[in-house]
Amino acid sequence: MRPTQDDIPIGLDNKHHTVAFMTEIPAKILCNLPSWLYNARNDDYRPIRHDGEVEPMKIMYGMLVALTPAALWSVYAFGPAALIRIVAGIVAAVAAEAIFQKLTRQKVTATDGSAAITGMLLGMAVSISTPWYAVSVSAVFGIVFGKQLLGGVGKNLFNPAMFGRLFYLFVFPDSILPWRRPFDLVTTATPLEILRETGEAAGVPILDMFLGRIPGTIGEISTLALLIGFSYLVYRKFVRWRIPAAAFSVVLVLAIIAGHNPLFYFFAGSLMLGACFMATDPMTSPRYPKGQVIFGIGIGAIIMAMRWWGWQTPGVYEFTEGTTFAVLTMNLTTPWLNRKFKPVRAAK
Amino acid sequence: MPENTIIRILSVLLVMGVVGFVSFPLMVSRLKKKGVEEAAARKQAMLRAKTHSVVAAFLYMVFMVSLVSLFL
Repeated sequence: MRPTQDDIPIGLDNKHHTVAFMTEIPAKILCNLPSWLYNARNDDYRPIRHDGEVEPMKIMYGMLVALTPAALWSVYAFGPAALIRIVAGIVAAVAAEAIFQKLTRQKVTATDGSAAITGMLLGMAVSISTPWYAVSVSAVFGIVFGKQLLGGVGKNLFNPAMFGRLFYLFVFPDSILPWRRPFDLVTTATPLEILRETGEAAGVPILDMFLGRIPGTIGEISTLALLIGFSYLVYRKFVRWRIPAAAFSVVLVLAIIAGHNPLFYFFAGSLMLGACFMATDPMTSPRYPKGQVIFGIGIGAIIMAMRWWGWQTPGVYEFTEGTTFAVLTMNLTTPWLNRKFKPVRAAK
Repeated sequence: MPENTIIRILSVLLVMGVVGFVSFPLMVSRLKKKGVEEAAARKQAMLRAKTHSVVAAFLYMVFMVSLVSLFL
C-alpha cells in the first residue's frame, strides 16, 4: 500500500518540513503571546537564577511590555508608518534568527523574545523618514553579526539592537533626514540640532519634549511613555537601575556645569530610550553594581560629549546624538568590568 | 537600494571577512604554542576570530563616520 502524506515522518519530507518550519514560528508567537503577557506580570512565575537575578528570557518579555506605551504613542503621533517600521524590524529580526539557527543546525530559539525585542528597539530607533527595508536590513545585520555569529543569547559582545543601529547610521545615513514633527509631519529641526546650532538648550517647550510632541526617532519622542515602561521594569526588578541612574547623574552634573537646563538633556534625543532600555540589556551590561555604575557614567559622559562636539557633516553624516556610540563603546568594557568588580563572595 | 548603500554594506562585510580570516590562523598558532590541543585550539580560535571581526566592524563603522566628518 502506498504511504499517505500523514504516514511520512516530518524529518524525512523536505516539502512538509519546510511548510512546517514556515508556519511554526508565527504560530508559536501567536499561541504564546497570552502566556508571555501573563508571565511578564505574574510575580509568582518569575524564575530566579542561582545568582539571584531574574532569568533573561523573562526580562525580554517584560521589555516588550514596557516598550508598548512608547510604541503606541509613536503610532498615534506618526501614524501607520511608525507601525510598519516597528513590525518590519520585529519580523526581520525574528526571521533572521530562525533562518540562521536553522541553517547552522542549532535549536531554533527565535520565539524566546530576544530577537523580537531587538527588532522592536531598532524599529523604534529610526526616523520616520527611513524606508522600512533599511530597518529590516539593519535588524538582520544586528541579529546575524551582532548576536548569532558569536553564539547567540548571552554570548554576544554588543547589544544587537545598537549594533544594528550603528549599521543603519553607517549604511543609510541619508535616510534619517528629514526629521518630521509628530501629527502634522512637517519637516523641522530636532531639539539637539537646535542645541548644536544655537549652543543653547532652549527653543523647545519642555512640556512638549516630555509628552512627545517633538521631532525625533519613532520611539524616543515621548519621555512620558518611556518612563511608564521603565517604571514597570523597575517595579518588576527586570532592569539594572544603576546604569540609567549613573548615566542621568552624569548628564545632570554636566548640564548644570554648562549652565543649561538638565531637563532639556533628559528629554531630548535618545538618552531615555538608550539608557533605560538598551544599555540595561542583561547580556551586554556589567553584572555587578560597581561595574554598572562605571558603565552608566561612561554612557552619560560619551552622550554629552557627542551632543556638544559630535560628528556632523552636512548632507553626509549628521549625528547630534551619541547614544549608539556610547552604549556600544561601553559594551566593549563589559567583560573587563565583570572581571574587575566581581565580588569576592561571587568568586567563591 | 542606492549604489553607495550597497558599497557600504559590502565594505563592512569585507572588513569582517578579512579580519576574521587573518585572525583565525594567528590565534590557532598562538594557542598551539600555549600547549592547547589542535581541535580545541581551532575551536577557541574560531570564536576569537569571530569576536575580532565583530569588533573590527564596529571600529570600522565608527572610524569611517568620523573620517568622513573630518574631511568633508
